[in-house]
Amino acid sequence: MNDSIDRFRATARAWLEANVPAETAPRDGPEARAFTLRWQAKQAEGGWAGIAWPEDVGGRGLSVLEQIVWFEEYVRAGAPSVLSPSFVGLNHAGPTLIACGSPEQKARHLPEILRGEVLWCQGFSEPGSGSDLGSLRCRATVDGDELVVEGQKTWSSWADIGDWQELLVRSDPEARTSKALSWVIMPMDAPGITVRPIETMAGPATFSEVFYDDVRVSLDNVVGGLNNGWATAMSTLGFERGTAALALLIECVHQVDTLLADCSPRLPMLRARLAGLRAEGRSVLAMNYRFALESENAVPDASGSMIRLAFAEFAQKVSAAAVELYGIDAAQTLGERGWGYEYLHAFSETIAGGTAEIQRNIIGERVLGLPRPPR
Amino acid sequence: MNYGLTEDQQAVLSELERLIAGTAPDGHTEPEFAPYCEALDQELAQSGFLDIAREDGFGPLDAALVVECLARAPQIVEAAASALVGPALGLPVGLRPVALVEHDPLKPARFLPRAGVLLADLGDRVLQVTVDPDRVVPVDSLFAYPYGRLETLDGLETKDVADVATLRRRWRTALAAEAAGCMAGALALVVEHVKDRRAFGRPLGAFQAIQHRLAMAAETVESCKWLAFRAAWSDSEADAALAAAFAQKRIPQFAFDLHQFSGAMGLTLEFSLHLWTYRLRALSGELGGAAAQARQAALATWPEAAA
Repeated sequence: MNDSIDRFRATARAWLEANVPAETAPRDGPEARAFTLRWQAKQAEGGWAGIAWPEDVGGRGLSVLEQIVWFEEYVRAGAPSVLSPSFVGLNHAGPTLIACGSPEQKARHLPEILRGEVLWCQGFSEPGSGSDLGSLRCRATVDGDELVVEGQKTWSSWADIGDWQELLVRSDPEARTSKALSWVIMPMDAPGITVRPIETMAGPATFSEVFYDDVRVSLDNVVGGLNNGWATAMSTLGFERGTAALALLIECVHQVDTLLADCSPRLPMLRARLAGLRAEGRSVLAMNYRFALESENAVPDASGSMIRLAFAEFAQKVSAAAVELYGIDAAQTLGERGWGYEYLHAFSETIAGGTAEIQRNIIGERVLGLPRPPR
Repeated sequence: MNYGLTEDQQAVLSELERLIAGTAPDGHTEPEFAPYCEALDQELAQSGFLDIAREDGFGPLDAALVVECLARAPQIVEAAASALVGPALGLPVGLRPVALVEHDPLKPARFLPRAGVLLADLGDRVLQVTVDPDRVVPVDSLFAYPYGRLETLDGLETKDVADVATLRRRWRTALAAEAAGCMAGALALVVEHVKDRRAFGRPLGAFQAIQHRLAMAAETVESCKWLAFRAAWSDSEADAALAAAFAQKRIPQFAFDLHQFSGAMGLTLEFSLHLWTYRLRALSGELGGAAAQARQAALATWPEAAA
């Protein structure tokens, strides 16, 4: 076993060393799109696309241990961040199609995602529905063999450069949420769609608002059945085994070592703080490895929320410590690539993809078994 | 001991609030990273509020009240160094905005692109540099305030000032008062937001998890404010270092908490929270940050034990 993993590591390392792009990934706009698709296509050519996807849909079907090793090597090689415009396609929309899509839907979309030909974005959150996703109001009405979509989505990352959107709409105005939503494959060039990028305080405009004005889409684009969108959206939770964002955590843990190396012994308080962060990072990493490995052959338990929460707060503390270490006016802090950007961007860690409050509720109720509070 | 405002102080603050309201940005303007408010800057320059510490019957405490009040506003202007540092170092009236920098006069300094004077703490003395705006190179920064730096001091009028202790003491008080005001402004915005914004059928502010953290944030705002005012009132090195240390230590958690309850909206330029977040982050790193201030507070309070 160890021999085969060592061999796997050596193969991954060699491929990454030879193929990781030298240039830095652009953060937004058409340059980000072109860069992301190029890198995905290269990984596909090398046989490294969809490492967690099953082989029968074109993925690599790696074991969790192999995925862990791949991400360790990925970070070591300085490969582009996995939190890129291809993230939704590879880690959310693609897995949803694998779980709930029709054979035609899978055949149409999965190869394009793997080969780096298209980008997907997410259309879940709305101006009035974030953590409370079930309250979403974007409407879809059946008209013949089409759905007609009216409404608005927001915080859709890279919607301005996306080809397809996984869109969650209310297709039954009367029924309870679990029977009222539909998960729709929405082409982003459909007439009636307007995308407005939102500038963030950290600089790049990676979020967008998306407006739908009488947008028509074929009923064939509904995934998992009309009015069954809630179950379809939840299906990917079972696919997520805590490896999707593992590269981000590994990278953040490595960064603490760099900060410690740069921290002079004349700053004992900061050194102590960084040493504490090093311990914290290693503990989150251990939790994540344990969770991922144990989830391989079982339904993941709710402790994934602990990892999500711990990582989010860890990343925030690391960026805050880095800004303090280097100073607000240092080269390491200033500019679009500096720790100043990371610090401001890290505010989203405890908000995006399930807020820290939602994660704490899940830990309280499903891990500790505490009674549900009134909501 | 009197924690109430005098009639004069009340009159000053109420006039200041009128100036702030009169120069408030139009809600329909395009979102910006960190706009410098020229209109308020000019009003302040003409009104004399930034020279209050030089007036008979007023002093640094009144200047700190002015600084704290101004920092609560979303408008960004240089006020803290003008009101608290300039008068103590004997800068002429009207020589402002004042930029401050530590160690190296060529390092990036906030407000330098608009400054009339730069005060550089060189350890054993203060270098006073009359700033020629054409000589300032703007520095891109995400931390609000216009930042800039000088490439050389050649050809600029400079003067040595011996009293480096006064510069540092007032700088610490100024940053504490400004941080306290920024915190108060940010908290007021977020409290309104969580009253309006609803999730799961209730206002966000009805959830205890949110109430508790905002209650802690409110405690931070009050603590920082009174420590800053005490430092201005006593004008002592130990109090100034303590107020700056406390504010700088509290800023990171405070900023994360306020953003948390503003959700994704709080990350955009369309919600003005970032205007205070940027400033707070910049302030939290000044003069070496919280740890340096805390060491200074210890040294000033227990000089023999610390030696």
